[in-house]
Amino acid sequence: MIALDRASLRYGPILGLSPTTFELPDGGGITGLLGPNGAGKSSLLQLLSGLLPPSGGAVRIFGEAPFRNPAVLARLGLVPEGDRLPTGLRAGRWLRMMGQLSGLSGAALDQAVAQSLATVGMTDRAHLPFVRMSKGMRQRIRLAQALMHGPELLILDEPFNGLDPEARLTLMALLRGLAEGGVRILVSSHILGEIAQLTDRILLLFRGRLLAEGTVTEIRQLLDRHPVELRLTGEAQVLARWAVEQPELAALRMEEGAVVLSVRSPREFFPRLQRAAAEGGIPLRALDPLDLNLDAVFQYLTKDHA
Amino acid sequence: MSAAPSPLATIRATALGYAPRVLQGRGWVLAVCAIGPVALVLGGHLVARLQGVDSSAGEAVQIFHEMIRMMLPIMALVAAPAGIREDLEQRTLPLLLVRPAPAWALPLGKGLPWFLWGALWLMVGTLGLGLLGGDPAQLPGRLGAQVGAWWGELALLTLAGLLFKRGTLWGALYFFIWEPLVRIFPPFLQRLTFTHYIESLAGSRSTSVQTSQLLAQEQVTTHPLLAFLVLVAFGALCWALAGWKLQRTPVGLAGSEAEG
Repeated sequence: MIALDRASLRYGPILGLSPTTFELPDGGGITGLLGPNGAGKSSLLQLLSGLLPPSGGAVRIFGEAPFRNPAVLARLGLVPEGDRLPTGLRAGRWLRMMGQLSGLSGAALDQAVAQSLATVGMTDRAHLPFVRMSKGMRQRIRLAQALMHGPELLILDEPFNGLDPEARLTLMALLRGLAEGGVRILVSSHILGEIAQLTDRILLLFRGRLLAEGTVTEIRQLLDRHPVELRLTGEAQVLARWAVEQPELAALRMEEGAVVLSVRSPREFFPRLQRAAAEGGIPLRALDPLDLNLDAVFQYLTKDHA
Repeated sequence: MSAAPSPLATIRATALGYAPRVLQGRGWVLAVCAIGPVALVLGGHLVARLQGVDSSAGEAVQIFHEMIRMMLPIMALVAAPAGIREDLEQRTLPLLLVRPAPAWALPLGKGLPWFLWGALWLMVGTLGLGLLGGDPAQLPGRLGAQVGAWWGELALLTLAGLLFKRGTLWGALYFFIWEPLVRIFPPFLQRLTFTHYIESLAGSRSTSVQTSQLLAQEQVTTHPLLAFLVLVAFGALCWALAGWKLQRTPVGLAGSEAEG
């Protein structure tokens, strides 16, 4: 569905995105695009949505270059960052226009407007002018315009900015529902927790470079020089005796009723731990990965490339 | 998945979608610009008549034409920034550009409601002037001059808004510095002004040139029909160039251009 081959983007002398290569398969699902402000997330999304052509390399969406390409644009929806909407217009009329610009007409257009408004919970407020809408309402209308033509690829740039917690949860549930319905969703954020709640498949960008791609676990496993921290709860002395015999052990700390291990190569360590626990070789009651989360991955990777 | 809309469908959808904008503050300013000179001339004429001063209808019409020639650029300066330039500045243009509709049709689609609204008031004003009397045979020329010039000037400023960051400023400089020079321009440069075509359609200024205007050049005229066609064609060319510029220029989320 999405293929980048050494695609880069320059803004005059400034490099917005270094040559980047990755692919996303067909079918539904959510992919998080993660990185701090200025990492190149918006640059990448602008390449993917066909707003900007690459300065080098190639971008292919549905097998074609997206820049000003109606065949591609008819199949994707974009929710840009912010809550900007045209001044002086009302949601219902504006959505009709956006539907018409997507090639909808007649009954199909009426249905698309009604359905997209219902999907974002704005049916009763479609008559309001944009200026009288709250930030959350405007964000929903922007989502509605991206959904109304039934896109196969939905791109959202920082969609949770400015939303209250309830609106965030609603939007997350909506995105999950769309993904289950077969829509491929690419959502960018600089807030790790947001992406972690939505998906564990991420693209990690930092200073215009794609640092890593995959699930949080996969990416974490790439970082052998940053040991994984695990808390093993049970008989601490016995657990510690077993742990020191393991070649992956990097450090060990005793706690009350538990032992905290730092281990390298978790893919080799975990099966051995599981086997030992299953065979009764170690009195293990609970296992808690302490840093196998998005925050830790992000910290490690960005620290390495800073 | 829906099919991409045709250019005509795109122009129609954009024009209808943005049509309510002309009924808001800026639209009424535009209407006042068009109708104001008529109201002033009619009012002045009426007051003069009431005071027993001899005020001919011909003089009033002449005053109207001097005023409207100045008001037309002001109208364009008011309306053009509310066209496609507004979306560029408000960063809402990406929402339009990610649609499968042809991007080159968007400037005309968004400018059309402003053109029609302005043209409506210009026609109302010109017809209202008929209350003074005057030669009805000159009415088509006056209507053609105003609507044609309005079409061309709005298109020119829309194009300038897409070509230059300070397009409105460049447009203002053109209208208020270049155009008045028509009085001292040689014939070939006179043809590079709107004033030349407006006067070719709505009436010559040659009778009003005084002996004190020593620098004034001989005025050339263009056949009225040709003058009207030139204004329409120039406007169409500017809309086309504005569309071409938008079609080929990458416009990102920040409204800035990237090196493609």
